[in-house]
Amino acid sequence: MSLLSVERVFAGYGGMEVLHGVDLTVGEGEMVTMIGPNGAGKSTLMKAIFGLVRPTSGAIRFAGEEITGAAPDRIVRRGIAYVPQVENVFPSLTVRENLEMGAFPLRGEIRKRIDAVYALFPALAGRARTRVGRMSGGERQMVAMGRALMLDPRLLMLDEPSAALAPNLAATVFERIEEIHRSGLAILIVEQNAKESLRMSDRGCVLAAGVKCLEDAGPRLLEDEQVGRLYLGG
Amino acid sequence: MDLFAGVVNYLVFFGISAGIYAVLALGLNLQWGETGLFNIGVAGFYAVGAYTSALISGPPPDVWGGRIVGGFELPFVVGVLAAAAAAGLVALLIGIPTLRLRADYLAIATIGIAETIRLVLKNEAWLTNGVWGLQQIPSPLYGGIHRHTSGFLRANPDLPSWVAQIVSRAYNGFYLLLVAAVLVVLYALLRRLAGSPWGRVLRAIREDEDAAAMSGKNVFAFKLQALVLGAMVMGIGGALYAHYVRFISPASFEPLYGTFIVWVMLIIGGTGRHGGAILGAVVVWGIWAATDFVADHLPFSAPQVAALRILVIGVLLEGILVLRPGGLLRPRRPRRPTPPPEPQIR
Amino acid sequence: MDALARVPQLIVYGLVSGSILSLGGIGVSLTYSILGFSNFAHGDTMALGAYFALAALSVLSGWGVSNRPWGALSFGAAFAGALAAAVILTSVAVVLLDRLLYRRLRGAGRITLMIAAVGVALGLRNAIQFAWGPQPLYYTTKIQRAALIPGLGVRIKPDQIFILAVAVVLAGLLHLFLRRTRIGKAMRAMADNASLARVSGIDTERVIIWTWVIGGALAAVAGILTGVENKFVLPELGWQMLLSIFAAVILGGIGNPYGAIVGGFVVGVSEEVSTAFVSAGYKPAVAFGILILMLLVRPTGLLGRRD
Repeated sequence: MSLLSVERVFAGYGGMEVLHGVDLTVGEGEMVTMIGPNGAGKSTLMKAIFGLVRPTSGAIRFAGEEITGAAPDRIVRRGIAYVPQVENVFPSLTVRENLEMGAFPLRGEIRKRIDAVYALFPALAGRARTRVGRMSGGERQMVAMGRALMLDPRLLMLDEPSAALAPNLAATVFERIEEIHRSGLAILIVEQNAKESLRMSDRGCVLAAGVKCLEDAGPRLLEDEQVGRLYLGG
Repeated sequence: MDLFAGVVNYLVFFGISAGIYAVLALGLNLQWGETGLFNIGVAGFYAVGAYTSALISGPPPDVWGGRIVGGFELPFVVGVLAAAAAAGLVALLIGIPTLRLRADYLAIATIGIAETIRLVLKNEAWLTNGVWGLQQIPSPLYGGIHRHTSGFLRANPDLPSWVAQIVSRAYNGFYLLLVAAVLVVLYALLRRLAGSPWGRVLRAIREDEDAAAMSGKNVFAFKLQALVLGAMVMGIGGALYAHYVRFISPASFEPLYGTFIVWVMLIIGGTGRHGGAILGAVVVWGIWAATDFVADHLPFSAPQVAALRILVIGVLLEGILVLRPGGLLRPRRPRRPTPPPEPQIR
Repeated sequence: MDALARVPQLIVYGLVSGSILSLGGIGVSLTYSILGFSNFAHGDTMALGAYFALAALSVLSGWGVSNRPWGALSFGAAFAGALAAAVILTSVAVVLLDRLLYRRLRGAGRITLMIAAVGVALGLRNAIQFAWGPQPLYYTTKIQRAALIPGLGVRIKPDQIFILAVAVVLAGLLHLFLRRTRIGKAMRAMADNASLARVSGIDTERVIIWTWVIGGALAAVAGILTGVENKFVLPELGWQMLLSIFAAVILGGIGNPYGAIVGGFVVGVSEEVSTAFVSAGYKPAVAFGILILMLLVRPTGLLGRRD
């Protein structure tokens, strides 16, 4: 049984439907990359999974339990973490405080979690007291991901983590993602810069016009000539 | 039958009050309902209109012992026009610095304006006779009508008492017709404007100001026009009030109550519909009057009763906001009661 | 010359009234940044606190708690107890208002919320008038002697020192709360980005309740201190101060509680000092002038915050 299963989900914003019956599964520890043209509904799908957009029909299940339309703070407690594409940190809070907010539902000791995040993102450890608003784009992305990891999620959803980052920073981000993947977390990632992502993914799927149209093992999708032409910029 | 006379006279009084409030509500609808300008300073424009008309058409100070600038004894119509002009001017002065601000800043600014106006009216006694107010404001055609009704009553001493009671108050009936006429004219005018391309731009600004700006409209100019025009309407309302009650003072324009009631009228009647403004004025004024009757039978003191009545209106407002924010009259075109909130995902 | 000579003393008065404005303004800034609207009912919340304190005071005195003045202050134990009771009652009241009203309007947009707040403002004021009547009620009838501060040539009363001290202590406590506690940090997070706060798993409704509690508590204290300073309270007390409070908040940067503190003192001092040059009746106009000036020149305020 998959960890996450999205079954024929329809969803949209204020009368405009964006997802027209999407199916998707993510298995335990699997990394799945979603690619597709702008406006295809990739971000919407993530928001629907996370309870920020209510599906008009269809079901979403996580670890066997139905979570369709549940509120985000409940979904976080179930074990899904979500990093939005933009505005994904608290700029007036310090690095340490951002991480603490990620562990808000835990009332007690979070020292170990913070250390684990610092182990993954060593650059953050020395800047615990810096206000995140003053940090660079790459550092902020690390804070955003670190925050998401604080509750030890089983599934991590990343919306275009390398967008607006310079290539060398993007590479660093992907290295970290690969490390996170190796540690056993399932990852669902939406990416424009799909090549890197597909290379390390177990599976990839193409979302176009609100429906999933292609799915294959990550590296094989990368090699597919048609996919390359249409969605990966040749 | 005396009861009948009493009821008729009361209804006339009711109609005049509701009518004046309806005029104010029409002005507010132009500013808020059509254009989305959050003006909490209604009472300020209303006061400016009332005072201007009173000063223009009132008797010179030596007649009644006050100190003012004015007292030109000009005709009623001149007073009303001057009231509109003065209120419009104040709106212009306020609008220029504040209309580029966000809604809540405009709201706070308009509260401040209304408060400042009230302070000036109260403190600058050389201009407005301060707290003592303006007396003997002439009502239009009062002399002539009064002569006729008195003459009629004298010539027919055997009239049944209820007829006499109604005839003796005939001037109020005339004033009611006057207010109604003004209301009809303003309503027709505003509806015409609402249907015109100018009106469409205003609604576009309310719905999405950025989009309107991007399509090339000078948003600021349109907003200013709406503010000024709406203020002029409110000024006319103020003039009608002054000439009816014949005595005004700064205390008559306790900012929040006047402003609040007009807002509630508009919201309950249906924001954006000029008909809604009038309907709301009648309904809310009716409820207000009803609370007056009910309160007479309650064992509370006068200040308590006054407070209770306003509480009723307040609860009414909150109820409408929660249950039926669009108001009683739904918008003609599918529209929101307040400008759309920032895009929220859930 | 005479006008200028009065300025130092007026500055002292301004710091006292500024303390009260600061405490009131903090609540407005917090509500704005976390709930997303300008709470026009905040002044009347202050009045509510002031009146609750009077009621509690008479209850406590009736139970035999002594109000014998502490030292040179004009009040004693009973008043302290009344203050605590009023703070609790006011916080409960504003939370109730949220649960009954504002919560149902959560997604309705800033302007609807402001209109609702105006309704609440009028409702609170008239509820106060209904329960306690329109005439002034006295906190104390004794006249305190103002002591001369050596070296500065200004006088200050013990009660006024108390007011200043309370403001400073509460501001400090708020600072610690926002910086050190979990809920305080969550409040700052929500002020930054409410949507991300939900995504992170922060219990936003809980944070909102805390915002009301803190805002209500500070409003109650501000209202009570107004009663201590003016010696009496009126139902309109709150609305009369609303303009000055908003001027303070906008001056400091709406949404920034520290800005509200700075703004409060600046507006307070400005208002008092202005009386050396213009009639005291125009004090609200001074606040309004500051407000308009800020809105035109620098709408984000002195300690600006993103809107």
